[in-house]
Amino acid sequence: MLTYLLRRLLLMIPTLLGITIVVFTVMAMSPGGISAQTLVGGMDMKPQEKQALLEYYNKRYGLDQPAPVQYLRWLNNVSPIGFVTDEHGKRGEFSFNKGMDLGTSFQYGRPVSDILAERIPITLLLNLVTIPFTYLIAIMVGMKSATHRGSVFDVGTSMSMLALWSIPTMLAGVLLLGFFANVQHFHWFPTAGISSREAQDMPFLPHWDETGFVRGFLLDRVWHLVLPVICLSYGSFAALAKLTRTSILENLHSDYARTARAKGLAENDVLWRHVFRNSLLPLITISAGLLPSLLAGSLIVENIFSINGMGQLAVEAVKGRDRELVLSITWVSGFLTLIGYLIADFCYTLADPRVSYD
Amino acid sequence: MSGQLLEVRNLRTYLQADGREVRAVDDVSFSIPKGDTFCLVGESGSGKSVSALSVIRLLPQDVASHPSGEILFNGCDLLKLDDPGIRAVRGSQIAMIFQEPMTSLNPVLTIGEQITEALQLHRPEMSDAEAEQRTIMALEQVQMPQASRRFRDYPHQLSGGQRQRVMIAMALACEPQLLIADEPTTALDVTVQAEILRLMRKLQDDTGMSMLFITHDFGVVAQMAQWVGVMQQGKMVEVGPCSEVLRKPRHSYTQQLLAALPENLVKPVSVRPHSQNATDQTPLLQIRDLKVWFPIKKGLLRRTVDYVRAVDEVSLDIPQGQIVALVGESGCGKTTLGRAVLQLEQPTSGSIQIQGQELTGLSARELRPLRRKMQIAFQDPQSSLNPRLLIETTLTEPMKVHGIGANHEQRIELAGLLLESVQLKRDFLWRYPHEFSGGQRQRIGLARALTLNPEFIVCDEITSALDVSVQAEILQLLLSIRQQRNLTLLFITHNIGVVEYLSDRTVVMYKGKIVEQGETAQVCGQPQHPYTQKLLEAVPRLSL
Amino acid sequence: MTEHAVSRESFAARIWRKTLDGAGVKVGLAWVALLVFAAVFAPFLANSMPLLMSKNGVISAPVLQYLSMEDTWVLATFFIALAVYRLRLGTAKRILLFLLGSALAAVLVNLFVKPPVLVIYDDFRSAAYTEADWRIMPPIPYAPTDYLRDLGSKGLEAPLVTEGHTHLMGTEENGADVLSRMIHACRISLSIGLIASGIALLIGVVVGGLMGYFSGVVDMLGMRLVEIFEDIPTLFLLLTFVAFFGRSLYMMMVIIGVTGWSGYARYVRTEFLKLRKQDYVQAAVASGLPLSSILFRHMLPNGVAPLLVAVSFGVAGAILSEATLSFLGLGVVDAPSWGQMLDQAVKSSTFNWWMAVFPGGAIFMTVFAYNLIGEAFRDAIDPKLSSKAGVNT
Repeated sequence: MLTYLLRRLLLMIPTLLGITIVVFTVMAMSPGGISAQTLVGGMDMKPQEKQALLEYYNKRYGLDQPAPVQYLRWLNNVSPIGFVTDEHGKRGEFSFNKGMDLGTSFQYGRPVSDILAERIPITLLLNLVTIPFTYLIAIMVGMKSATHRGSVFDVGTSMSMLALWSIPTMLAGVLLLGFFANVQHFHWFPTAGISSREAQDMPFLPHWDETGFVRGFLLDRVWHLVLPVICLSYGSFAALAKLTRTSILENLHSDYARTARAKGLAENDVLWRHVFRNSLLPLITISAGLLPSLLAGSLIVENIFSINGMGQLAVEAVKGRDRELVLSITWVSGFLTLIGYLIADFCYTLADPRVSYD
Repeated sequence: MSGQLLEVRNLRTYLQADGREVRAVDDVSFSIPKGDTFCLVGESGSGKSVSALSVIRLLPQDVASHPSGEILFNGCDLLKLDDPGIRAVRGSQIAMIFQEPMTSLNPVLTIGEQITEALQLHRPEMSDAEAEQRTIMALEQVQMPQASRRFRDYPHQLSGGQRQRVMIAMALACEPQLLIADEPTTALDVTVQAEILRLMRKLQDDTGMSMLFITHDFGVVAQMAQWVGVMQQGKMVEVGPCSEVLRKPRHSYTQQLLAALPENLVKPVSVRPHSQNATDQTPLLQIRDLKVWFPIKKGLLRRTVDYVRAVDEVSLDIPQGQIVALVGESGCGKTTLGRAVLQLEQPTSGSIQIQGQELTGLSARELRPLRRKMQIAFQDPQSSLNPRLLIETTLTEPMKVHGIGANHEQRIELAGLLLESVQLKRDFLWRYPHEFSGGQRQRIGLARALTLNPEFIVCDEITSALDVSVQAEILQLLLSIRQQRNLTLLFITHNIGVVEYLSDRTVVMYKGKIVEQGETAQVCGQPQHPYTQKLLEAVPRLSL
Repeated sequence: MTEHAVSRESFAARIWRKTLDGAGVKVGLAWVALLVFAAVFAPFLANSMPLLMSKNGVISAPVLQYLSMEDTWVLATFFIALAVYRLRLGTAKRILLFLLGSALAAVLVNLFVKPPVLVIYDDFRSAAYTEADWRIMPPIPYAPTDYLRDLGSKGLEAPLVTEGHTHLMGTEENGADVLSRMIHACRISLSIGLIASGIALLIGVVVGGLMGYFSGVVDMLGMRLVEIFEDIPTLFLLLTFVAFFGRSLYMMMVIIGVTGWSGYARYVRTEFLKLRKQDYVQAAVASGLPLSSILFRHMLPNGVAPLLVAVSFGVAGAILSEATLSFLGLGVVDAPSWGQMLDQAVKSSTFNWWMAVFPGGAIFMTVFAYNLIGEAFRDAIDPKLSSKAGVNT
């Protein structure tokens, strides 16, 4: 087991490298590339000031050097094993744990690691809440469809699942926002963000006091998350529900289910004691692919609902041509995705005794 | 007759398939006395499995219906029981075991859990500890080695034979009066089959239970049954005591079936141009020290730690004009050997020479002209023909590549002749594979093997997936083709009856090695090697 | 032995028949047909100029004069496709003929079609065109880029609100009619779907096929490549591409294609691995058939089936990607696009529902249609859940 994990982790490295190279190449090949010119160009300054800024950028970030060199410098900064560089970019000695320096964002002027540290938890919160919610509803719906195959519920849901899956995320977001969070129609939910300002001071749990019902930090968060989570989850839950239905139907018709019935088990017991666990296996496999699509969905959802997560950061970084930020976001999301695969595989080994890794 | 445990009277079972109604069981009646075994025989589609499933009412309700008939078990009509009623019967009074041990057990539960489930379902007052005890006892009863350890094993950790033992243990855990067995040994190797059948007979003697045994193998019937029922297309054509039906069948269908058994087939008198002494000629095929090893890679860097020795230093001569049978159980390497000869598998080392020419180590281009001399026919009728191509294309394409036939019309003519030589109509050329039955597809497969006019054909279990009557036709066809074209055949099979009927020489393989070879009469009559002896003993024979 | 109905149709015909056997897929195909019709005949459906008019006894067709190169080429290609479809030739030959035909059409169009460069739509509402003996106007008398300045347009307006002229779906921020833009936007959606998927399919099939057939080192390298492209946050890469390279429709199509091939490669590889072991492929090898025949006649046609399913879903995905990019402000600028219109729904402080519902609805229907078609293909090809009793009779 340990060798398998080790092997997977080692294999991640070339893939991560590959991803960053691809993204870096895109940036480098674009008109204007990654020189300081583009950063300074549009600003309204006197020529000398522009020149000074240009030189500063060049020195600080090495933007005047050819692209491969820039990439290697960045790589050296990011990896925990490499050459220690000092303030002026001079190379020092080789060290095995020099720490990871993700660089500084051009746009925000702050270290990338700080920015990411702020944003990632929010995106993770959004996604990690979405996943169990999605699975729960999908399994319930899928199971009911499978056990009542051909019924009105089954036919109706399978049509609506497909329709639901087809609704583009941004349309759903826009509609949800427009109708349910708007003074023009129903203002049931807040328009933006994941918590209101007062919530910072509120105690964690809801309670009553002299002013009436106080939401409490927890409920406030929940209230803000309702629409974004719905928006993020409906697509994948449609796919999962269909998968659940197919999987359960297949297993209900399997040989071992027939054996269980031959033993005298009631249909309900056959379903819960035998079929259910086997049906979950494909769902676990699919969960590996779920995280990347959720991260992509986050991009849109965070944008629509003005949530300060990584998704929104990504869009701004790209629009602002912020090299450091873009590269770091790339490999962080790639990393999260690969970790997602690993976790899914691991969960699969736990669930299916036939599989063992060595 | 009130001594009957089970009485089936005028049973009808109709199935809904693709919008049509199929009369799977059409007015069938039979009865099983206490303590006896009743065998239900028939070919595929005869309705024997459906009958068995009907008794225990295991057919899905949205697909199956029983418009008429009665199933009296100890006097009570099972068809009229409500759901809780029939569930109380299932597993405790009537138990059933199935054909595929691989898929019939739940892969995510231990076998101990699955057996105790049966126990605790029908004896709810039993405690967990007692259930575990009884389960281990049941496993010992079915002669499972290290029963208490196996309790915590998962099905995939057991072999096919062991899994079937688990199924039997599970079925017998609550001591049923009737055991229904739906082809329980068909998917097992013949030696394992012999053990399981012996086990079942012993259990029957010990417990006094009755058995309803479904099979297509008359040898098994002869070994197991006191009573036989022969089914054809949903109807029961003959019922009676086993010895009578097998020795003096009255219905023409039964007679047909028995006549089609390889042991009963009449071998055509062959007038072969070559003398019986084939030893003075150079053999058509010479195999020396052939090894086909597959690496097993493990560890961090995927290093090769060991090998699967599919074919382990095999040396063999195949004389011209003879049929050599290659026998063995599953995993012995016979299929790999057959394919390696045709260079469809890469040999790891060793030499294969056809008519003196070396085959190993040649490039694809060098090999091409040699490919005309050797061809192959496959086992599975479903996948042996390209479903997208007309039969005509399948047959004429190889001709075109090798330059046989001057133009397209000639090739079509030749293809038509080929079809006729396998006793099919010429206009079958213009059809697609899915329009044919399994037997017809095997014939087309043979026709394809004959397109290039080869000298040598490997027949890889070509009749194993066919009913016995179709098998008989194909075997007879094979003999006549061999006669006409002076072919040499390597016939791979696990069916000893076919070996004795068809082949001149027999080669026995076990775990990648040849353990015995020689004239068929010699090998099958006086086997020398202990494995061959065991193999031959295990074959269920008709004459007891 | 049970008798099965002997059907005299080929494998492909059987799959096609099974696919069409359902309500959903008919709806999907009907919608796609509608889109194709709208895309091809857009200049005749929604335009500010008359289709036919007679002035002082002289009959003229202003529409034809102003047909752009693109319009003409699309029309030509459509008719070529119809003609080729009717011909009784093999699939490969038909595709080749079609490609040749459209290439030829492109060349001819380039040489001969020269519409006036500047079009002033207000002219068509002037006396020169209105005072005619008779004239036939297109069903929707507004061009997509006709900003209706002369009619005093006020930008975003709800449907049927403006007096004097009807806008069935309202107007967008520059004053143009929404329905007209939607019809013309069909072209972009369809072409994006097809071209992007086509590129992705081509790359995926080649890479996947090579991996599946050759295994070994080729397979290992290929898998790494596939993994990289799979793990790249696609949307993010798209954003990066577009932000750094600027917005161009063709660029977007290529990029969506280049980022989306990994799924197809995996499918093809799996199928090839499975097919290599099939008996009829082994028989082909044993007969000494050349590699090209084995790959293209024996393996590929049998492996194509799951691809059909994947392509249907892929086209839906490509359309969604384009819409998303436009929505995030990174899509095409002045050519009409559904995503771009959707973006306008939220840009201002008020919620302009008609800009969300109509274009959004069109996107939804299109994606839904392709998904329905994909589902129907999948059910036809993989009928594991037909109502068997699970019995071996």
